[in-house]
Amino acid sequence: MSTATVSVPSSTGTRRHHLGVAPDIPLQLYGLHRRTINLVTLACGVFTLFTLIPIWWIFVSSTKTATNVNSTFGFWFAHPFVLWSNLKEVFTNREDGSFLVWLRNTAIYAAVGGIGATVLSAMAGYGFARFNFRGKNLLFVAIMAALLIPIVAFAVPLYLVYAKVHMDSTMPAIFVPFMISPVSVYLMRVYAGGSVPRELIDAARVDGAGEGRIFLRIGVPLMVPAIATVFMLNVVSSWNNFFLPFIVNNSAKIYTLTQGLQVWFWHTNIAGTSENFTAITIAASMLSIMPLLIMFIVLQRYWRGGLLLGGLTG
Amino acid sequence: MHPPSVGAKVAQVVVSGAQDRRAVPPSVAATDTARRRQRAFQRRRDRRGLWFVLPFFVVFLMFLVVPLAYSVYTSFFTTRMIGGTVFTGFSNYTQALGDGAFWTGMGRTFLFAAIQVPIMVIIATFFATIFDMGVARFGGAFRALFFLPFAVPGVVATAMWGSMLQTNVGVFVRVFLDLGLPNPNFFGPGHLLGVIVVIAIWEWTGYTIILLYTALKSVPRDVVESAIVDGAKFSRIVTRIKLPIIRPAIILVVIINVIGALQLFTEPYLLSPMAPNVSANYTPTVYMYNEAFSAYAYDFAAAIAVVLAFIIIIISGVFLFSQRRKGALV
Repeated sequence: MSTATVSVPSSTGTRRHHLGVAPDIPLQLYGLHRRTINLVTLACGVFTLFTLIPIWWIFVSSTKTATNVNSTFGFWFAHPFVLWSNLKEVFTNREDGSFLVWLRNTAIYAAVGGIGATVLSAMAGYGFARFNFRGKNLLFVAIMAALLIPIVAFAVPLYLVYAKVHMDSTMPAIFVPFMISPVSVYLMRVYAGGSVPRELIDAARVDGAGEGRIFLRIGVPLMVPAIATVFMLNVVSSWNNFFLPFIVNNSAKIYTLTQGLQVWFWHTNIAGTSENFTAITIAASMLSIMPLLIMFIVLQRYWRGGLLLGGLTG
Repeated sequence: MHPPSVGAKVAQVVVSGAQDRRAVPPSVAATDTARRRQRAFQRRRDRRGLWFVLPFFVVFLMFLVVPLAYSVYTSFFTTRMIGGTVFTGFSNYTQALGDGAFWTGMGRTFLFAAIQVPIMVIIATFFATIFDMGVARFGGAFRALFFLPFAVPGVVATAMWGSMLQTNVGVFVRVFLDLGLPNPNFFGPGHLLGVIVVIAIWEWTGYTIILLYTALKSVPRDVVESAIVDGAKFSRIVTRIKLPIIRPAIILVVIINVIGALQLFTEPYLLSPMAPNVSANYTPTVYMYNEAFSAYAYDFAAAIAVVLAFIIIIISGVFLFSQRRKGALV
């Protein structure tokens, strides 16, 4: 197998799966009416509207005073335009925790969780793909079976175990579970199986390289596309996670953004809350989704790669 | 609802285990001892693979398997104010299974899954097909746009939709009023679940589109080309060739989303201060949370979690098995 092609074998071995997506078959071959194409484009437009409405609303609302949020037309700007003072308040408000601290915490969780999940799954995937140790298949099936287990089944017990070992409400209690990603192990295994040639590994062994060195010098460089995808997927899921931190952590100092925003959002719904708080919460929510939205738009082309679900079609 | 990143690919995975057991390169020395020595060497070398898997497995064991086991363990005990913690056998389970509050929530999440999952999968399949065949103008731009909600945490998505639909003051309510329509109560008992369905569809459709699109893109081009040469119409290519080929992907997407839907928590929990109709037992997970952290009945909460996990595992297992028997999955 040439080392240049990054193809992923399917479980049946019949499918050629290239990272680059093949060009579309010219439309006219399907014999579609122009009217059909227009209708379909219209459907896309309608769904775009649905998709963008909340994002547009929160962007517009974050430029308004609290009174104007509900008293002016929600989908358009109003005077006064107070985006900057709202943002300033987001960063200076200490009424119920600090946005900046949550932002920092979440960045740490997403980075450490993302890197950890990527490293652990790259190693495991490579090990599963390129070694035939005893009990391998049993181990793999056990890991994959975890996919069926709902997070609620172990979140509260995890909290109880943490409490027993005095690990509750610590940062590792939040980010270590983010590192367990069976899907990533699966993707890495499939990808390593297709992109790291055995011959290359054997040649390196003959040259006297250790297994660790072979993994770092040969395996990792060949697995870069999978590593990038898995890293992005895990950063996003760590950044957006709510339930697990919500259960295992009750220290406001190490809140995630989602935890903090939940507190603020609830706060706005309590009678007697200063009205301005609504505006602050909206601006904070808007701010919290910006990093990932920007990342998505910038890295858009990476998401279309065929790797997202590896060998899903058998 | 939890991220459907819990891609349940178990059935397929079980099969793929066989793929990399390829033959060892034949040894040049054909003598028996040499072959045996080579095999022993091979085994020793293969054992080193365990070192690569070990780090993941240790974390997996400590942070997932141990809590799970502890959850089952603790569900057999009951902690009382007086008398401390005592072994009570299946009493937490009989209590959970005989608890009307649990089943009300369970029924509601079943209804939620039965509405949300099919609608979303149909919408996602429609758009994935369109993007795959390149039927819509600006398909690439639409695809990127539809994916954006994946970047928005469930908490923020719910806060946005909740605020827009808020009773009396939300922007949608005002649009209704401005059009001279009656004041709608989106958080009323009849509409609340619908609101949550809309939020969940908003959150997960784009991601599902990408998953199905990826699967569709991997359908061999020559199959479609020969169908075109044979004069097959567009609709026939979609319904008779493309969709049947990606059926495993559709099935897995359904399972992933059913698993997520049955754990529904974030959306109703976040809406509860605005929507008084979110009861303490609105979904099993909300119920479990309230039992654990409001009533401090951890053991009972653990039993609820175990029962819910069993229900989810049985449903996905039965579904996977029924599809497998039809020969569709593998």
